[in-house]
Amino acid sequence: MIVAKQKPIAELKEMVRPYQKLLVLGCGTCVKTCFAGGEDEVATLASALRLAFGQEGKSIKTEELTVERQCEDAFIQEAAQAVNRNEAVLSLACGAGVQAIARRFGKAVILPGVNTTFIGVLEKPGLFTEECAGCGDCELDTFGGICPVTRCSKRLMNGPCGGSKNGKCEVSPDIECAWQLIIDRLTALGQLDNLKRYIPAKDWRSSLSGGPRRLIREDHVI
Amino acid sequence: MNAFDQGVFSTSADVGGALLQSIKLPCSAMVRDIFLLRAFEAGADGVVVIGCPQGKCQRIDGNIRAGKRVAWVQKLLSEIGLDGRRLVFAGSDTVDLAIANLLKDMMLLGLSPVKKETGISK
Amino acid sequence: MKTGGQSRLKETLAGGGFAVTAECGPPRGANADAIHKKGDLLKGFVDAVNVTDNQTAVVRMSSLAACVHLLEMGIEPVMQMVTRDRNRIALQSDILGAYSLGIRNVLCLSGDHQSLGSQPEAMNVFDIDSVNLLHAVHVMRHEGKDMSGFTLNVAPDMFIGAAENPFADPLAYRVVRLAKKIAAGADFIQTQCVYNLPRFKEWIRLAREEGLTDKIYILAGITPLKSAKMARFMATKVAGMDMPEEIIKRMSAVAGPKATEEGLKIALETIAELRNIPGVRGIHIMAIEAEEKVPELVKAAGLLPHPQR
Repeated sequence: MIVAKQKPIAELKEMVRPYQKLLVLGCGTCVKTCFAGGEDEVATLASALRLAFGQEGKSIKTEELTVERQCEDAFIQEAAQAVNRNEAVLSLACGAGVQAIARRFGKAVILPGVNTTFIGVLEKPGLFTEECAGCGDCELDTFGGICPVTRCSKRLMNGPCGGSKNGKCEVSPDIECAWQLIIDRLTALGQLDNLKRYIPAKDWRSSLSGGPRRLIREDHVI
Repeated sequence: MNAFDQGVFSTSADVGGALLQSIKLPCSAMVRDIFLLRAFEAGADGVVVIGCPQGKCQRIDGNIRAGKRVAWVQKLLSEIGLDGRRLVFAGSDTVDLAIANLLKDMMLLGLSPVKKETGISK
Repeated sequence: MKTGGQSRLKETLAGGGFAVTAECGPPRGANADAIHKKGDLLKGFVDAVNVTDNQTAVVRMSSLAACVHLLEMGIEPVMQMVTRDRNRIALQSDILGAYSLGIRNVLCLSGDHQSLGSQPEAMNVFDIDSVNLLHAVHVMRHEGKDMSGFTLNVAPDMFIGAAENPFADPLAYRVVRLAKKIAAGADFIQTQCVYNLPRFKEWIRLAREEGLTDKIYILAGITPLKSAKMARFMATKVAGMDMPEEIIKRMSAVAGPKATEEGLKIALETIAELRNIPGVRGIHIMAIEAEEKVPELVKAAGLLPHPQR
């Protein structure tokens, strides 16, 4: 899923200050799962903003709405009237959703309510971790299902580096050395030979480095 | 507060004329962030969430979850500009003490800056 | 300034000599004098001087420029290159430029992560890793082609080095990685500084068993300790460092100027042991901000006179 974190109240308060009527628009998919922008978070945030302005002696009118996904037009459409009757939209969707809303409702002020961070998983209750960098050329078969592009802080193809100690990365003791994990996993699988050969420099054309990407499915284009 | 078992909420703490309102839920873990914020929007100057005593949750870990949720909202309240000390969590065995302490804090913090009608006389 | 001609470091090693290299950290500024001072201390005592590349991710004068300053003094540099800050285009470009200016040795590294340095907010590059880099330089030399397959207008005949850390985990895999670097084209290795001799001996024994010590020149790292505080700092704050308790104890047992003496003593003992280990072809002295200690150390270790060219 895409993992995001709500922006701090102080930042949001200043962002929405110019507007008297605000639509707080949630998304029921990724950001709901990471507790950043689902229905519950919309309600909490709208209330928090009302309280934040209230304790200044100001009032703000908020409308609350959540759609299934803000990255698909069919769902975004449902918000059309709500968007029109408010001065601005505070979208709690990931960056893709915010942009989809902005594209769809060209004349509306669309504000981002969360900081979108990574593609990840729920490793255990309350802990989301980054797993995939979207490099566009997956080599997880070579690395026993552990991604060196994402999980190695230096994206090494022929790791580990000299800073790996006790299975931890030199950047932080909270970060496991991906290469230690890869070596352990491949050893357990009897596939350590995967790492004995030279792994060439990665072709980054398929990643964001090659420019923003697109995917077309001709069989679905009508 | 586990409303199914405990009936009407009461406390022996000296609330000195403060208005006490209670809301009953089957388990403290059913408290949602929004309930707590709405309480402040409705004009509350302080909020206590009462759950089962530590280690005695009737639903295994409900009071632990409630405690964490309250901590989260305390932080949020501080970020909003309302002091997080206005919100507390207490086990049903320490309610009177918790309310007494909360009232002490509220004397220092004053009325909620969110302008509404309900207030404390002292 | 020397242009044309082979790497003197390569010639020394190929001729069977025990090489001595040292390190020079460029200044945090545009002051060439800082390099001249360090160069003056090291000249005549070592075969070559490594110049670090924005070490610990702290902005310093570029390695390439500092190498040229050393060349002008008649000192042979080893240009260190990290893949943290430059992509393959820039790295290849700098190799070509360096060679054209007379630089003959390059050490290929990944580099410390920028989060640990002076500009943690910078985006890192890591387009390629250190093994990709040394392979690229190897191909430049042997095939005269760059990474795109283009035939170069004068190919750089660089003596290629890599770093290895016998003290980082996992030990067994370190030897696999050494083999990979050799296969990719590394000519020489400089290791992380040695304090834990048993561990170092174990690593090199494994390397020897794989036949690797015949295929590559290994220079063992040496850093003389100045104080117990320094020993403790290295033990806890420096990534990939292995500092045995006994060493910290020895340093803690003496105080003040005696500590520096003890540190030198430990270094000399280590060098003496290293010279007896088959497969060790030299030492690499990393005297961090203590370059004045190098001549003393080299002399006391009996490594003078050094082949002068």
